[in-house]
Amino acid sequence: MSDVTVNEVPVVAKVVKEETPFRRFVSEFFASKIATGGLIVFGIIALLAILAPWITPQNPYDLAQLDIMDGRLEPGSVGGSGMTHWLGTDDQGRDMLSGIIYGLRISLTVGVGSAFIASLVGASLGLLAAYGGGRTDSVIMRLVDLQLSFPTILAALMILAFLGKGIGNVVIALVIVEWAYYARTVRGSALVERRREYIEAAQCLALPTRRILFRHLLPNCLPPLIVVGTIQVARAIALEATLSFLGLGVPITEPSLGLLIANGYEYMLSGKYWISFYPGIALLVTIVSINLMGDHLRDVLNPRLKK
Amino acid sequence: MRSTFRALAVSGLLGLAATQAPAQTLTMAVGAPVTSLDPHYHQLSPNNAAASMIFSRLVETDDRARSVPGLAESWRAVEPTVWEFKLRAGVRFHNGREFTAEDVAYTLARVPNVPNSPASFTVFVRPIVRVEVVDPLTIRLHTRTPYPLLPMDMTNIYILDRETHEGGSTERFNSGELAVGTGPFRVVRHANGDRIELERNDQYFGDRPAFQRVNYRMITNDAARTAALMAGDVDVIDQVPTADLSRMRNDSRLALYETTGLRLIFLWTDHSREDATPFVTDNDGRPMARNPLKDIRVRRALSMAIDRPNMVGRVMEGAATATGQFLAEGVTSHIPGYPVPRFDPDGARRLLAEAGFPQGFRITLHGPNDRYPNDARIIQAVGQMWTRIGVRTTVEALTWPTYIGRAGRAEFSSFLMGWGMNPDGSHPLRNLIACPNRDTGLGASNRGRYCNAELDRGLEESSQMLDEEARQTRLIELERMALDDVALIPLHIQTNIWAARRGFAVTPRADELTRAQDVRPASAPAAAR
Repeated sequence: MSDVTVNEVPVVAKVVKEETPFRRFVSEFFASKIATGGLIVFGIIALLAILAPWITPQNPYDLAQLDIMDGRLEPGSVGGSGMTHWLGTDDQGRDMLSGIIYGLRISLTVGVGSAFIASLVGASLGLLAAYGGGRTDSVIMRLVDLQLSFPTILAALMILAFLGKGIGNVVIALVIVEWAYYARTVRGSALVERRREYIEAAQCLALPTRRILFRHLLPNCLPPLIVVGTIQVARAIALEATLSFLGLGVPITEPSLGLLIANGYEYMLSGKYWISFYPGIALLVTIVSINLMGDHLRDVLNPRLKK
Repeated sequence: MRSTFRALAVSGLLGLAATQAPAQTLTMAVGAPVTSLDPHYHQLSPNNAAASMIFSRLVETDDRARSVPGLAESWRAVEPTVWEFKLRAGVRFHNGREFTAEDVAYTLARVPNVPNSPASFTVFVRPIVRVEVVDPLTIRLHTRTPYPLLPMDMTNIYILDRETHEGGSTERFNSGELAVGTGPFRVVRHANGDRIELERNDQYFGDRPAFQRVNYRMITNDAARTAALMAGDVDVIDQVPTADLSRMRNDSRLALYETTGLRLIFLWTDHSREDATPFVTDNDGRPMARNPLKDIRVRRALSMAIDRPNMVGRVMEGAATATGQFLAEGVTSHIPGYPVPRFDPDGARRLLAEAGFPQGFRITLHGPNDRYPNDARIIQAVGQMWTRIGVRTTVEALTWPTYIGRAGRAEFSSFLMGWGMNPDGSHPLRNLIACPNRDTGLGASNRGRYCNAELDRGLEESSQMLDEEARQTRLIELERMALDDVALIPLHIQTNIWAARRGFAVTPRADELTRAQDVRPASAPAAAR
């Protein structure tokens, strides 16, 4: 990250003794209380999701542990097995707290996984388009245009209808609908970077194209990629929830947050709010915390926004 | 006490006022759209409901789906292959033309010749080889072989007028121009898929409908239909969503009218494969050499593992009746005293062990998620109960078009299905239980591919028996034979539910038809008749 941040050194030099771009980035990030809060909340959610099998009172995906007789219990009631359901149960007698924590696990896996794979695919194609130019560029960018001209949800629905249900298929569908964002972002900044002297210098040294692309060009295109990546994680989580809500995502016995919300949707008017409400809150908090981080990252990593 | 009296007095007065007011309008909202006013175009409950408001049949059905006289006053088999119908005198069509035997002959000839019919009524007239008009009020229908079901088949055919309808196209019915029958209402206006406006036919031969004008609206969205009733925009709705039931029961402005229907919800198991069935594996996930579902002890265990009463209470919110047979009590071919399989997980585990599966096995249970009320919830609940007896169950819910295609190709090992029955036991037996046979059309919906030669022979015999009592006895024997062999696993029979604002009473029908003539002012049912 050498080039872009060189001019800003004086602004933060007073805080840190030995200045590296990373340290400066970290200190700038934590300067914002909101972003720090977002990171802490997201950290807690991620930890809950990772530790789910050890901390939840029930395995909501094991049918043998569910009892239909415990269906639609209010928050705080005690079920037939003597277990207290702090957030109530859904229509199948699934403990909502356990269901939400397991649902977060799916949401995060799908969100982070699909964003990661999509960024790999998108960044590679974007770099190739910027560096290759000419016909390569037009082919890839027309593909991007084509992809972006479809409404995301519609494209994802069609892909899933073709592939069938399952978490793996949801990830594939999300990668297919999201790579174009990364490709376009990376191409934009790579187009600027490739005219710079250090790329010319590398070309003069007759370094192999692969090395120029990934060791010289890519690191300098990273900041916008990170920002887009964070926002896209949140988008992917929301999209997965939407697909599951529509009944096309995960299997019904392994609900993610979206499917939990869909399960309770019919009972909303009957006063049984908790089946949809709490998963909705969990989804909201997750997406907001990621977006808060993403917004601030954009501010920190964008030299133009600095005074 | 006093307030009760006053309430009674007031409601009595209101009821009186309602029956005396001549220009009363009834607004109804139904959940499924009527696709055509041509009564021979599409065999579909909503279309049949609309048709039975406008047209009449030789043999009508009452609210329990029993045959009662309609345009025919009586019928009998004069010979084993000849049915004679005595027609009602003095009946007139909405346009004033007289109804005669010629019109019946014309109707029976038209039924197979309706172009582009998506689900034809032809099956009901196919057994008839010759129609003989004896005199204007007597008609004889000749069949090739003795055919006891003919009067029941006639409950599906709405009678048209030869002079009015000759050469008429389905489009001209839909425009309302040819929607001219002998039924209790005449069509004022038809907006396809939106509403039908009707007016009382004062010359109707049956009970006089209570309302002068009817606005029959189609609101397919469940929440919107419920909201329209709550807001007072409509007086009566059908297909009340089960999730709203508890709230509606507690709402004093509304009343619910329910009756046990004719739709059975049940599970199929794969009967066609002796060796490995695709969705059953042993506990380590390896395919099994033989199909455990061919063992009657396994099927019986799977049936005993299901806690039907609790499933009806919890999943269906009470809007169903737990059952162990095809038809509900009070319906023609109901088996008297045949028990609902007792919930007995220990007994089920013992039976599994006896069959050689002490550790159980793994199975995937399939079902639709958009076809029957709570379908996806039902299979999840069954999945829980099967897993408890050691049959580790994975549940997979699919959208109906995908699901029914795969079920038809026998791709599943165990799966959920629903079936709307005729009250006569021959209907489920011929369609669900008889060995599938493309040529005879038997077993057309036998998706578990159950096949029992002895049962098929009995069914063949019963289809020639003209003594109704003996035939019913035989049918009940055959139903018992199929159920004892667990040909399918019955779960429950759906309850049909209508909701109405206070002041309106609905006669609930087993056949799911929502008709304006079944709605009356609530407080004075006797005066209205």
